[in-house]
Amino acid sequence: MTTPIDQIRHWLSQRFGTTPRRATLDDLPLPKRPDNTDLAGQRLIVLDLETTGLNPARDQVIAIGAVAIDGMAIPLRDQFDLILQRPELDIRETVLIHGIGPESLRRGHETEDALLRLLQWMNGDPVLAFHAAFDRRFLEKALRSRLGYNTGHTWLDVAEILPALFPDARVGKGRLDDWVDWFGLNVSERHHAAADAMATAELALIALRYARKKNILSLAALNDALRVGRRIQQLKNH
Amino acid sequence: MPAENRDPHPQNTRAIMAFLREHNPFASMDEDHLAHFAEHSTLRFYADNDVVISPDDGPVTTFNVVKQGLIRGEREGKDGSVQTTFEISQGECFPLAALIGERPTRTLHRAAGDTFCLSLDHASFVTLFAESDPFRDFCLRGVSSLLDQVNQRIQSNAMATISPAQSLDTPLDRYALRNPIVCSPDSPVRKAVARMHENNVGSVIVTNEARQPVGIFTLHDLRTMIAEETASLDASISQVMTPDPLSLPADKDAFSAAMLMAEHHIAHVCLTDREGRLVGIVSQRDLFSLQRVDLVRLARTIATAGHLRTLVSLRSEVTRLVDTMLAHGADSGQIVKIITTLNDVTVRRVLELNMAKSDPGIPFTWLTFGSEGRQEQTLLTDQDNGMLFEPPAGMSEDDVRTTLLPFAETVNNELAECGFTLCKGNIMASNPKLCLSSREWDDWFIRFIEASTPQNLVYSSIFLDMRAVYGPAPPLEQLQQRIVGRIRKNALFQKMLAANAVERRPPLTLFRGFRYAPDGEKHTLDLKRQGLAPFVESARVFALANGITESNTVERMEQLARKGVFDRKDANAWKEAYGLIQAIRMRAHQEQARQDQPLHNYVNPDDLNPLDRRILRESFRQAQRLQHKLELTYQL
Repeated sequence: MTTPIDQIRHWLSQRFGTTPRRATLDDLPLPKRPDNTDLAGQRLIVLDLETTGLNPARDQVIAIGAVAIDGMAIPLRDQFDLILQRPELDIRETVLIHGIGPESLRRGHETEDALLRLLQWMNGDPVLAFHAAFDRRFLEKALRSRLGYNTGHTWLDVAEILPALFPDARVGKGRLDDWVDWFGLNVSERHHAAADAMATAELALIALRYARKKNILSLAALNDALRVGRRIQQLKNH
Repeated sequence: MPAENRDPHPQNTRAIMAFLREHNPFASMDEDHLAHFAEHSTLRFYADNDVVISPDDGPVTTFNVVKQGLIRGEREGKDGSVQTTFEISQGECFPLAALIGERPTRTLHRAAGDTFCLSLDHASFVTLFAESDPFRDFCLRGVSSLLDQVNQRIQSNAMATISPAQSLDTPLDRYALRNPIVCSPDSPVRKAVARMHENNVGSVIVTNEARQPVGIFTLHDLRTMIAEETASLDASISQVMTPDPLSLPADKDAFSAAMLMAEHHIAHVCLTDREGRLVGIVSQRDLFSLQRVDLVRLARTIATAGHLRTLVSLRSEVTRLVDTMLAHGADSGQIVKIITTLNDVTVRRVLELNMAKSDPGIPFTWLTFGSEGRQEQTLLTDQDNGMLFEPPAGMSEDDVRTTLLPFAETVNNELAECGFTLCKGNIMASNPKLCLSSREWDDWFIRFIEASTPQNLVYSSIFLDMRAVYGPAPPLEQLQQRIVGRIRKNALFQKMLAANAVERRPPLTLFRGFRYAPDGEKHTLDLKRQGLAPFVESARVFALANGITESNTVERMEQLARKGVFDRKDANAWKEAYGLIQAIRMRAHQEQARQDQPLHNYVNPDDLNPLDRRILRESFRQAQRLQHKLELTYQL
């Protein structure tokens, strides 16, 4: 067992780059597939990105926030919260949303290093996000272009899991804010990557807890349930 | 370093710290310790009805805070039913006693509604416990009961001049003089006085062969005897003693003795064992030498005041006395009794002065109703009174009224001058409808009980709580027996009273917090109507339905427990909760009086400290339980 001091040291080293050697792509753990591991023993990554816009072809990642769900709980010491060093980017359109200005981007964390650390921290664990397709496209593009990293992670969409488990929730268009309101959660700061990741993680935790009551005990079982849901939706639409 | 990273903590840690800072003990903890807590905590989620911690989990190793939602403590009753013993809401910590005691929790903790908790592992808890004084104090204090905490705080506020060991709750034998000087009834006065002199005491107790007190003789009696030459020094003491001295069992508390002295204007009370044998004596000086609360002197001054204006001027002393008693940590039950006693003494003295001036010549009993009838008066008080008489031979009831009403009106007006506000609803003895003979009162109550109109139900809180303050008590006792007998037989009336009693709900919302009063200032609770009334009204229904004529709410609950109508533990919890709400209300009154504001019953829970807020919430929950019992009993 690691002592609290070790944990702090570990966390500090992750944040401020005092690890003796820089990780390389070869060291990275391989992404895991959704299997029958009981969720009670499973680590999941919950991720949220802030970007310069909505178009993955043109826009760029500027901040990464992530928390982990480990054994059906969110340990606060296991999180990722960085602004990238990208002073060259045009953020005029979005600065009012995420509040990250040119000065922050100039002083941000060096991008390649940040992405490598993220991959290392993710440990190949499955990734959850709200409207996951968006974050996945942006992140994979950044990883490919900056690191030449092409291995795909397992992604699950919290925006799809929630209505599957709570079909009766009255959440309008089902945006993150709608679900946050539905469950009466408090988000410390909207459109802050880490805070949004935390809100998404809290929603995911609620969903997984209720999933267990329906005997959905693993990601594989959850994936199956979602697939059935998608199929029913398709049939309804025809 | 990025601009936002100048803050040493990531956003989510900052957010947790900000949440913690709004609650105790975190509000008073150092920033570093708070950060340590936030960084080492784990956020967990429990769906409605999920078990959070169970006695079967083994020794507790985590310190937990409710971040959102509610947790209930459940214990299984003897009959297998599950009872909620406490509630833990947002910002509150658990399970302190089990964690500190390194044992399993005794109570099943279950989520009531979707609930998030922050959980701190044992190693981090130990670190914080060792390093943070406020955190350690909080954890240790949480172990003692809620009531202990209140008392600790009240006592810590008490003035340093008071020895903390001396309080009115102290058993009498701590104050009492052991082996008091005694003599037999046939002893000559000369010998008795010699013994008092030898022992340097001011009184001697006269006892029979069984050592039971039959009389008391004091220096005061000696002075009267010599000055008025009523007997010689060779007379036997039984001729000059005050017979049948007042006694109390030795295990009673000092407060009972003080009340007895105040009521009867005496300076000594004998302590006896179970067989009524003398074991000690306690004097007014013994009781109050340290307290500096001169209740007995004040009561005597009021009782012997020669003029109305003296009585009026003494009212400010009553306020001052209550202030002192509150500061010295007397409980609210004691204080309302003191206020009631002093009010009774004042009412009696006003009546006596008027009798001396213009005796109407017809015996009557002066009745009080409502809160005064329940002996539950606070400083905010108005008159609710009436008269009960037997028409003398040859006089009609209306004849008697012609004589009594002018007298009553003078008394009502003089009481108003003494600070008892005239009753807006004209529930006063000068109202011809409330100055009645026994027969008329009886008819009045028959109509009251049989015609269960909404107006009658409103009046039930006044007229079903009555007491005699002056004049012969037996006529009222007989009347009350008849009333209670009729109510016991009238299930419909009971049910209507019960429905009326559950109408005013304690001010709690389903999960999150307080429901504010519909009237009054924004975000305030009405402690009287929303907090105390559910107890008073529920206790009244149960008492009347079970043949109890007692009108005091705490006493009603006590008797209901003795009769087995209430579970003993429930009754104690309800009595305690009622007293705690009353205490918070009285502190508010004292504060208003100090600031020369008109007295009212509204408090804003945000103005209370977190402990009082928690006490209020828990007390209101007890009121809900009592109302629930009423609903079950009467199938409402």
